[in-house]
Amino acid sequence: MTNRIRLLRADRDWTQEDLAARLGVSRQTVNAIETGRYDPSLPLAFKISQVFRLRIDEIFSPNGGK
Amino acid sequence: METTPGVGVARSSWSRLVTLGAVSILTYFGARLVLEVESIPTAWRVVAALVPVPFFSWLLYEIIRGSRQLDELQRRIHLEALAVASPVCLTILMTLGLLELVIPLNRNDWSYRHVWQMQGVIYIASLYLTQRRYGVTCE
Repeated sequence: MTNRIRLLRADRDWTQEDLAARLGVSRQTVNAIETGRYDPSLPLAFKISQVFRLRIDEIFSPNGGK
Repeated sequence: METTPGVGVARSSWSRLVTLGAVSILTYFGARLVLEVESIPTAWRVVAALVPVPFFSWLLYEIIRGSRQLDELQRRIHLEALAVASPVCLTILMTLGLLELVIPLNRNDWSYRHVWQMQGVIYIASLYLTQRRYGVTCE
């Protein structure tokens, strides 16, 4: 799975710490998701979509997807 | 910016866990010292053998409490580390048991009382490897 979290975060001028605080997770978890080492659970994915006010499929896509 | 309650609490409880872990290990070695003095009556040595139990129970309680404050990746990392460490320890125990049937093992090096210490070391090594896999480093 790939995601646009790093881009979306940069657009908003948020640090990984800022995003982690909004999501209620550690900065390292945000980093692991951004680098594709960890795919978040569905509840966390929904939380991410709420934070960025985007649909999940606008943030995450399967490997080699659109 | 608001703080992250769960993660913040986990960090603050880390030092308490380390302190409690150190105290628990000290009580274990204290008990070992007492148990090696054969002039002490058996009843008192039994009491000494049980002294570490409340400390380790408290440590276990704090570990469980701390694990509830971890986020999903942190929990996953600990779970994967345990999933490696436990079978490795079972394998060590099984191998020691089988070897004991064939050759006398030195009790001071290979008895069952050393396996829990091995498990701790194996768990920490496995935790380190799992953290590396997810790109997580200790801060």
